[in-house]
Amino acid sequence: MLQIFNIQHFSVGDGDGIRTTVFFHGCNLRCPWCHNPESLTQAAISGLRCRQMSAESVLAEILEDRDYYADGGGVTFSGGEVLLQAENAAKLARMVREADISLFVDTAGCVPYRAFEALNPFTDVYLFDYKTASAAKYASVIGGDLALVRENLFRLLADGKDVRIRIPLIPGFNTDPASVDALRADLSDFGIRRVWLLPFHRLGSGKYETLGLEYAYRHTPPLAKETLAAIADRFAADFTVSIE
Amino acid sequence: MTRSETLRTEVNRAPSGRFCPNYFRYQGYTADPPAPITSLRANGIAALFTRPEPYIYTADLIAGNTRCLYAEVDRELRHEADRFAAQLGSRSFLTNKDHYSPNYAHVVQVGIPGLLAEIDASLQAHAEDPDRLEMLRAMRITLSAFAEMIGNYAKKAEMLQNDPAYDRESLAFIAQNCTALLSGAPQTFAQGLQLIWFCHIAFSMEERYAMALGRLDQTLYPLYRREIDAGTLTDAQATELLQNVFTKIPTTDVVNICIGGTNPDGSCAVNPLSSCIVAAVKRNNAPGPNLSARITPHTPDAFLQECLESIGTGLGYPALMNDTVNLAALAKIGYDPEDVYDYSMVGCIENFITGKQPPWSDGRFDTPRFLAYVFNNGECPFNGSVGLKTGDLSQFLSMDDFMHAFKAQLSHGVAEYCAAFHAQNTSINQRDYAEPFLSCFCDDCIARGLDINNGGSKYPSIHGAVLMGVGTVADSLAAVEKVVFRDKAASLTELRDALLANFEGYETLRQQLLAAPKYGNNDDFVDKYAVWFLEYLAGLFSAYKTRDGGAIYVAMAANTQNISAGRVIAATPDGRRHGEPLSDAASPTYGRDKRGATITLTSVSKPDYTKAACGTVVNQKFSPAMFSGEKLPKLATLVRTYFKKGGQELQINATSREVLLDAMEHPENYPTLVVRVSGFSDYFVRLPRDVQLDILNRTQHE
Repeated sequence: MLQIFNIQHFSVGDGDGIRTTVFFHGCNLRCPWCHNPESLTQAAISGLRCRQMSAESVLAEILEDRDYYADGGGVTFSGGEVLLQAENAAKLARMVREADISLFVDTAGCVPYRAFEALNPFTDVYLFDYKTASAAKYASVIGGDLALVRENLFRLLADGKDVRIRIPLIPGFNTDPASVDALRADLSDFGIRRVWLLPFHRLGSGKYETLGLEYAYRHTPPLAKETLAAIADRFAADFTVSIE
Repeated sequence: MTRSETLRTEVNRAPSGRFCPNYFRYQGYTADPPAPITSLRANGIAALFTRPEPYIYTADLIAGNTRCLYAEVDRELRHEADRFAAQLGSRSFLTNKDHYSPNYAHVVQVGIPGLLAEIDASLQAHAEDPDRLEMLRAMRITLSAFAEMIGNYAKKAEMLQNDPAYDRESLAFIAQNCTALLSGAPQTFAQGLQLIWFCHIAFSMEERYAMALGRLDQTLYPLYRREIDAGTLTDAQATELLQNVFTKIPTTDVVNICIGGTNPDGSCAVNPLSSCIVAAVKRNNAPGPNLSARITPHTPDAFLQECLESIGTGLGYPALMNDTVNLAALAKIGYDPEDVYDYSMVGCIENFITGKQPPWSDGRFDTPRFLAYVFNNGECPFNGSVGLKTGDLSQFLSMDDFMHAFKAQLSHGVAEYCAAFHAQNTSINQRDYAEPFLSCFCDDCIARGLDINNGGSKYPSIHGAVLMGVGTVADSLAAVEKVVFRDKAASLTELRDALLANFEGYETLRQQLLAAPKYGNNDDFVDKYAVWFLEYLAGLFSAYKTRDGGAIYVAMAANTQNISAGRVIAATPDGRRHGEPLSDAASPTYGRDKRGATITLTSVSKPDYTKAACGTVVNQKFSPAMFSGEKLPKLATLVRTYFKKGGQELQINATSREVLLDAMEHPENYPTLVVRVSGFSDYFVRLPRDVQLDILNRTQHE
């Protein structure tokens, strides 16, 4: 069974065309700015509930949108961290592929590579979160191993996978010029030519409140337009930049 | 100030004096008192056109407005004129007065002198028929007066030459265009537009409402093309001229303009002028011109995106029409193929065979009312109105039994509706209410020497029955099937008691009813009732005809009347309380389609809209961010897919700042307003206030 906390129809921010985004429950990182806190709890609050679903039932819901996948659309696996359920997700991914539907996988990439290997045969594009170039910050702030992320990125590229680097821009974490420059240097070393920037927002606040959880970023305002433009400009020196 | 800003200021300035068209008509009536009634009407129209002094705005490039009908008139005289007009009487909406799309293509081709020549030829041909001669003479009188009115504008423009408030160049342009229209067919784009606008103003002076401008991008295209090729016109100039006209359309009127569509050979009819019209409407940025775009599978992506960008400004125009469905729907009515391809819209969305049928009318058919009749054996518990005696509820042992009674109530209701319409529509003697000027713009009134409403038009009159509450009815039937017959959680009698009590004391049952499947979630358990709704009602209405043998066809539109209709309709089995709005137009009940736009539109595309020849409306709202950048093509894909699946119409609106502010104040009205960004979605109303303001600020920026 798959642990799913949401299936979003008419997704327009998670890859090409019109997509159906399947949100997988559970994550091994603890990003304090996370906007999907329901991916971490087992709370059974209406509308923010993790569901046990068979691959067949998820596929049935995907197929409802099938006609809208013209012009490059399809399915995106997101989360949470989908690769924590790699084996079961691969079963669904195979069905998606057999239905001739495009599959994007959105991941933070902090899992053993064999999880990727399970999904690689069925995945058209990885939306790969790259949050910082600092291993120390990666470990202390979000509790992950950047070396593993880097290794996975390297191997995906070596395996010829289409990888899109997505960088969440988090005030106080990675938006200062030094952090941006470190990310630029790091990603350039991987031969990356294009990045997608995801500016911080605190729209998850309502969910935290509903779940009765504290949100560390509750009072952090979104990036000012000028700040965002300056960051985008800085990245633009090395990359084609898109802002989601 | 730009020219368009100046013009808007001038248009919005209140005129002095009183609006007194009858005073001007009266001068024509009294000029020739013993005339027979058709001639008398023609004399009145002639005076209406020629007696007022034309008014030209300083920012006019294309002249013509109804300000000339405001005058300081002696009270007694005004009342005398009104009394005379009242005695003479006039047509109304339900007796085919307005909501008409004139044959502008023809008049642009032959000009006023051409039309006059056709009348003269017909006068010769019908020399032996006194009735037709009178009609033709009446047409000639009004058309000549119309020409005189244009001449008066030319004179006025010349007279103003030395007025420092005006610029001479514009006045000369106006005078020259007006003068040219007197001697032949329009030779330039501006002259063609000026001619159509004068016709429209003349109809407005006759106090006709919702007169369409028709397929403006087709009727004016030959003149536009000729000038573009000759280098005497640019797109910017054409757009400015169009905007100069659109700014003068009152925001209280509903003037439909139809663009795009399909040519009879199947190719796409979009041309560069279609884009100029979208640009002009977008720049004008005001209601009034009600723009409709006929979208076909061949419509270029670039054009669809222009339409969506215009919608995204917050204007909501153009409304997007599925040409494939409309062509098929109109073909079923039996019009000639070349006329079907040339259809346009009148009013909001109503399909109309351009210039070939009498003015359109419609009426509201409040379907949820008939549910109450089933529950109460033909009686409405609240207003005492009476339906059919379909029997005691205890006799209904299955959903089939229930449907059988509901069908009987609807069938009875449709018969009553058609009888009432017929009574109103034939309440006047058609002969005594001739429309000589209007008839000049309808095939084949001139050739036949007959009035538009009395045998002159190529096709008979049509009437639209507007079916209200598809969502309310579908949800109600699904709730009855689920709660009563499937789950057996309540009997029909208990349900009736709950409805009579407006659910007071029946909250548990109401929650069960609300939990039943709802239209708009791609669930066939309920969607099948929406499919049935259109199929069955279109079938019932198709058995009736208008007074002259035309179709009574159906629409699903609401124009916010779902709110007023809902006020007088008792509680319904879908959990809706007494007085709450019905579902809007052809949309699911607001807030109950909870799964996203693709799923909503999949549900909504299930009914066979080729049976709704009059037209339907489906409303969808998106955040302003959807209308730009990489997201815009995705919206285009959504529209195209929905149309491919058989949807008929999409009225898209951008969620404006005002909507978001309202949602902050009245969260209960916006249960499904969703905020979406990458990898995330949540309900707007769940966000804390300062976070809602984040979104509001975003909206402002984008």
